[in-house]
Amino acid sequence: MVIPEDRQLNIVVAVKLVPDTNADKRIDPQTRRLVRSAAETVLNPFDEYAIEAGLQLKEQLADGSSVTIVTMAPESGKEVVRKALAMGADRAVMLSDPAFAGSDVWATAYVLAAGIRRIGFDLVLTGTQSTDAITGELPGALAEYLGVPGLTYAREIHVAAGRVRVKRETDTGYQTLSAPLPALASITKSAAEPRFASLKGIMAAKKKEIAVLRLADLEIAQAVGGDGAKLEVTELTASPARAAGKTVTAADGNAGARTIVAFLKERNLL
Amino acid sequence: MKNVIAFIEHKNGRPRRVSLEAAGAARTVADQLGGTAHAVVVGGDAAAIAGELKAYPLDTIHVLADAAADGLIDPAVDALTTVALALGPSLVLVGNTMIGRDVGSRFAARVDAGLNADAVAIDVRDGRVSCVSPKLGGLVITTCVFRSEYGVAAIRPNVFAATPGSGSAQIVAIEPAGRAYAVTLEEDVEVAAPELGVEEASVVVSGGRGLGGPQPFTTLLKDLADAFGGAVGASRAAVDAGWISYGHQIGQTGKTVSPALYIAVGISGAIQHKVGMRTAATIVAINKDPDAPIGAFADLLVVGDAFAIVPELVSAVRDARAVHV
Ligand SMILES: Cc1cc2nc3c(=O)[nH]c(=O)nc-3n(C[C@H](O)[C@H](O)[C@H](O)COP(=O)(O)OP(=O)(O)OC[C@H]3O[C@@H](n4cnc5c(N)ncnc54)[C@H](O)[C@@H]3O)c2cc1C
Repeated sequence: MVIPEDRQLNIVVAVKLVPDTNADKRIDPQTRRLVRSAAETVLNPFDEYAIEAGLQLKEQLADGSSVTIVTMAPESGKEVVRKALAMGADRAVMLSDPAFAGSDVWATAYVLAAGIRRIGFDLVLTGTQSTDAITGELPGALAEYLGVPGLTYAREIHVAAGRVRVKRETDTGYQTLSAPLPALASITKSAAEPRFASLKGIMAAKKKEIAVLRLADLEIAQAVGGDGAKLEVTELTASPARAAGKTVTAADGNAGARTIVAFLKERNLL
Repeated sequence: MKNVIAFIEHKNGRPRRVSLEAAGAARTVADQLGGTAHAVVVGGDAAAIAGELKAYPLDTIHVLADAAADGLIDPAVDALTTVALALGPSLVLVGNTMIGRDVGSRFAARVDAGLNADAVAIDVRDGRVSCVSPKLGGLVITTCVFRSEYGVAAIRPNVFAATPGSGSAQIVAIEPAGRAYAVTLEEDVEVAAPELGVEEASVVVSGGRGLGGPQPFTTLLKDLADAFGGAVGASRAAVDAGWISYGHQIGQTGKTVSPALYIAVGISGAIQHKVGMRTAATIVAINKDPDAPIGAFADLLVVGDAFAIVPELVSAVRDARAVHV
């Protein structure tokens, strides 16, 4: 599919709402659930890079291209989504249905793909991982369900002449990859420092549309949510909290080094 | 699920260590399932890699020797799909690495397979495969059972044993998918010399703002990491200051590591750093502040000046290890 140069780009940024990690989260050993007071919902920090990249692309293209935020989350997350709108996104679509609760990575990718197809897109942007599940597997699965090329771990992204071109981080350097639109790219932190919402942006966001799509609005053939999950969580235990060890004040560099070496030998690490 | 397939990543003609660990795990799990253990290798060097893999306890090594596939995800996904569909319901093991996650997740979506990220243990009970993985930065440990016919587990580097075995694997060629790929690789640039990544190293030596500049990362810390045969990591403060590249960042917005030993030098121990390293077996901190938050979860906090302690530590570690080797 060739997209003419003058075509406006429909950029869709998929985001996730996650518990805030600024607070040291605790699990209640009885209920095995997150202690709520310490876990407010925020926009996944990784996704802010994708939003910023989307906004910058829109600004560079300066042709009326748009940025749409999409998330699969309960409607209670609406105000968190508004933060993305305050950064400058044009509108948001929430995929909210009790039937989506309990989704694993597979179901999340599957439902998001259905939502994004419904919205219509030329370029889908995502973060590289979420701070709660940290699977890093959503971008690839989403690209596959959308049936488009997936360019992941982009630290630079450009769109020209119907193609998207990225610098993809590798363990020892980078690759330059390109693909025809429509496509998906996941954006790393090095690509774009997220902007702070301006007062004007915050005001404008109050009037922006946050549409809600339910299961029935989407073309979904398979069971989703907890029923459709391909993984069943059979056990969930709080990992033992790390206790403080010992503190030793070193008289000088040599004493400090000796303390460490003795400790490592004790633990068979040396 | 009956059979197990290890997807083999490679670089400069050598398989990645985590892929050898995947091969080892493939054998163990396949035996528990009463199935067979396989490896899939794709790329220009695939034949040579397969030769090296013969030292591992696999039944079949499937090879797509095609230099055009180098650096791309889609040809690997196609090859994996061809092998998996021919074998029937199976578990695919990829490394929990940038490439492993991409290949694993695309394959999973293609065959509607469950995806288990960051597996640290794999078990079979009543013929069903389950994976153990830390979640929420190691705060909770989950056990998940696959409900799907095919499954993908991204294994955490450094956890599973890569034990060489029988060496009787059969090498077979994979039928090329024969299609054109939409993604074009325009260049593949190596900036740093290939080195052990923080996720794979069994010892990680990380530096923070306390190191005051870029230089200690390539001298002090590098020397200490080298003395252990480990890798250099960093806090976000150090990465944001431009002292070391993002690939070394440990924490919430960086990498999650669980080495046998984590040494934090001039790092305060903010919660966002902690979630990336709290599952290390042993944590040692060097900090001039006796009240640094890292003291609350390090096994040993040595209070003192990093610039005085680390050079002494480098020679002490070199000496200690020289005696053993
Ligand atoms: C959304 C979000 C995501 C984040 N993600 C991450 C992440 O992924 N990883 C991460 O690390 N941080 C992350 N942070 C940042 C985190 O909150 C801290 O700011 C950061 O970890 C601090 O880095 P530091 O410990 O190197 O620096 P500081 O907190 O400034 O600590 C420096 C330490 O060095 C010690 N020191 C100074 N001089 C010496 C010396 N000569 N010898 C010995 N010790 C010395 C000091 O006593 C101090 O404890 C994130 C923050 C946010 C808000």
